[in-house]
Amino acid sequence: MVAESYDAVVVGAGGDGPVAAWKLGEAGLSVLLLEAGPFYGNEQWPKPNEESGGEASSSTADLSGDLLDEQFTTREFEMINKLLFGPADHERGFWFRKFPGDGAILQCAGVGGTTLHYTGCHPRAYPASIDEQGHWPIDYADLLPYYREVEKLCEVTPAPVTAKEELFFRGAARAGWEFVDDHNVTEPGYRPQPNAIRPPDAKLHVDGGYDGGFTYPDVRGDTLALGNIAGNPHPRGAPYEEKAKRASNVSFVPAALRTGNVTIRPNAFATDVRTETPLGDSPAATGVAFRDTWTGRTESVEAEVVILAAGAIETPRLWLNADLPRNEWVGRGLTIHFGDNVMGLWDGTDLEGILGKRTIDQHQGQDIAARFDYPGLGMLQTVGTGPGIGAILGFGASASGFAFQNDPDDAPWDTMGRLAGAELKRLLSDYRRMLQILVVSDDRPHQRNGVTVSEALSDEHGPIPLVNYEPSRGDRQRRDELAEIAAEILREAGAAHVHRSDSPPTALHVHSTMRMGKVVDEACEAYDVDRLFVADHSALSNGVGGANPTNTGQALAARTADRILERYF
Amino acid sequence: MGTRGTLGRLVRWIDGLWRAVTSLLEVALETIGFGSDVDLHTRVTFRAVTDAVLPETPALGTELGDEHVPGGLAIALDEFVITYVDDGFQLGLPHIGPHGNIRLADPIAHALDFAALTLCDRSENESEPSPDRPVSLLDPGEASPEAVRDAAGAFSKLSRKDRLRAISILDEFELSVTPGVDDLFEFDAGLVGQLVVGFTEMIYYSEWQGYDEFTQPRASASTRTIRPPSRAGARPDFPASRTDTPRSAGTSGRTTDRSGAAKRGRPSTRTPRHRSA
Ligand SMILES: Cc1cc2nc3c(=O)[nH]c(=O)nc-3n(C[C@H](O)[C@H](O)[C@H](O)COP(=O)(O)OP(=O)(O)OC[C@H]3O[C@@H](n4cnc5c(N)ncnc54)[C@H](O)[C@@H]3O)c2cc1C
Repeated sequence: MVAESYDAVVVGAGGDGPVAAWKLGEAGLSVLLLEAGPFYGNEQWPKPNEESGGEASSSTADLSGDLLDEQFTTREFEMINKLLFGPADHERGFWFRKFPGDGAILQCAGVGGTTLHYTGCHPRAYPASIDEQGHWPIDYADLLPYYREVEKLCEVTPAPVTAKEELFFRGAARAGWEFVDDHNVTEPGYRPQPNAIRPPDAKLHVDGGYDGGFTYPDVRGDTLALGNIAGNPHPRGAPYEEKAKRASNVSFVPAALRTGNVTIRPNAFATDVRTETPLGDSPAATGVAFRDTWTGRTESVEAEVVILAAGAIETPRLWLNADLPRNEWVGRGLTIHFGDNVMGLWDGTDLEGILGKRTIDQHQGQDIAARFDYPGLGMLQTVGTGPGIGAILGFGASASGFAFQNDPDDAPWDTMGRLAGAELKRLLSDYRRMLQILVVSDDRPHQRNGVTVSEALSDEHGPIPLVNYEPSRGDRQRRDELAEIAAEILREAGAAHVHRSDSPPTALHVHSTMRMGKVVDEACEAYDVDRLFVADHSALSNGVGGANPTNTGQALAARTADRILERYF
Repeated sequence: MGTRGTLGRLVRWIDGLWRAVTSLLEVALETIGFGSDVDLHTRVTFRAVTDAVLPETPALGTELGDEHVPGGLAIALDEFVITYVDDGFQLGLPHIGPHGNIRLADPIAHALDFAALTLCDRSENESEPSPDRPVSLLDPGEASPEAVRDAAGAFSKLSRKDRLRAISILDEFELSVTPGVDDLFEFDAGLVGQLVVGFTEMIYYSEWQGYDEFTQPRASASTRTIRPPSRAGARPDFPASRTDTPRSAGTSGRTTDRSGAAKRGRPSTRTPRHRSA
């Protein structure tokens, strides 16, 4: 049962909210964690998309690996639709938000939030992005103890190498780049991803000749069967907490529940932050109103502190709809790692010479297991996808029309733009000999980019978010430079054909809309509202240099929890 | 945007779309819980999209194999895309209750017609539009040729390649339509390309056609089961990348050849039903 009041209410059980809940619960505070989406793999909700189920969960005894196996089918199209930001009731469409252009925002709803989709890449920020870009009021060194805490709980280890990583490393080395052997990256170079995915069982090593089954307890850890974007429930048969991918639902949520002080209330969409102004000056947060997404009933709960962790779109939306004081940076400064996709295609005979086999088989191994870092520009990473996701990411979207309309001339790629028809079919027929590189650029926070709310259009939770994103010239240049490096790496790795998507802005990583130093102070408490904290990626002061952001978002949330304890408890 | 005339037309188009969506919201109000028949114009336009993005490609038969011949129409991808975009988004507006999914297929079809008209207006079409193309997109007996000619918009009359050119024009609009215009439609214009190209490609190359009830909303996912292929849809020989079969066993610095992945070629059980220019 949800009580009337708690020491702390956290809004959003995504990547970062559960980290704050865990730390506060461990310190003995009573914590309510509200989540707009469903709770998968929990016996309180055996049919989370069909029936409203239970009310709240406060114990790891509710967690069920069997249910997660049943609900996370690994079917690509089905799982994407299941996890994307929308109500638990799958009769209803996604929650609507406006994004400019033909780009899109990819976020999930449900306990675990967007880490349900994420591929487990858990690098740290580039130190220079925190210490030298001038956006952050704290130092990189302040985050180090929290990185270590998060990495330990998420079991971060270097990703295993399969054919696609081997090809990428070969290309990077031949292009003259160095191998990077440090968590704190200051020079460009390549390395295996530090992934929050348990390593595969040693007996699965290619030399081991393993011939057994791939379900738990025969194997433990990652089964190298791709599928992280679709939730990755492997190994099948494993208890909930033994699943290989340490998304926040598997890592921090059980840790939070185990404190005995944390209650999770899914299907609860926060619509208002209650405040009082006891001393007649700045308001102080006193609680949250939320709406049950099944019944539509609104409830409210009181708290000593309120922590917003609804993600970088919904946290500012909630702030704006709750009519909290307007600061000119609320919702502004959005960074999305303005990205692109560059694909290489190999000839079978060439591959034979390089890999000893005629295919790359991008569906083997972990989705994203090799990376190239370039502090100041951003990063590249290999991506293994199923053909459906590969088709939409690599070929279905472009800001430059269709490939037949472009003449890349002396560009380092052979084709650019969307593909359709025979060209598309021809390329995808070579799916097993294709490798995709995701370009992730270090875009900088600009005030014009961000989240406002619509004056004309509301849904059941109030005015919908309108997202604006227009990269600057510098952002574009950094992206172009990275795309050229990607093309060179692919060529050096032997690719016979290189294709660039010129993707429209597509937001997989969303941050810095409630920036530390602008909207929240060094403890992530709002300048304009006492006892109101932000503990999600929106509090990041910039895009952490282009490195995958979750490790930093979680480290900062852990640090914020410590600051909350210092200030108020 | 090119000329003043085009700009004026664009503004009229936006107005038209606004009206279309407003009335669609009302329709949604009335039909909560009930499906409605897809309008012939919308049906023809989505066939034209599917046929352009994933056409039947007989020439690939000799080059790559028979499974590369059928297009999206052979597996009724057009029907699914309509269902998908109609059920995909909701505003859950308080006055229309919790089931107010926004039916987007009709406005998207009109946006595509507008793009086609603009393409022709600019003389950027390579082939002449033809009223026979929409007719050839339907099965004989599905609707009378006269009815199809009456209902078909400009988009479905274009050649396949010109249809793709028209879709690209929509990308241009979303960059140009700025202040003074309702935001929703800036979004919609941009969404069109994504939904009709990106999603069509993703759905075609994903496992959707194995679902029992693939025309249902994103709902019922948990009640769907993968069934043996029965709709035509022979497709390229991908490994079973979405099954649970683990397929790789390399853990360090070595590559692996242990696929373990079942092939999922789908034998064609009937001939593709549509042919069009
Ligand atoms: C395909 C994909 C792959 C990715 N891979 C990686 C990766 O490998 N490494 C990496 O670092 N990052 C990755 N990311 C990004 C990463 O998942 C996000 O950066 C991270 O999850 C953000 O954490 P968050 O807490 O800020 O927001 P979220 O994880 O989005 O959590 C916000 C939560 O709040 C809930 N919520 C929203 N509004 C409300 C409300 N009003 N009331 C109650 N609850 C609400 C949401 O339902 C959600 O659960 C990936 C993203 C995608 C889409």
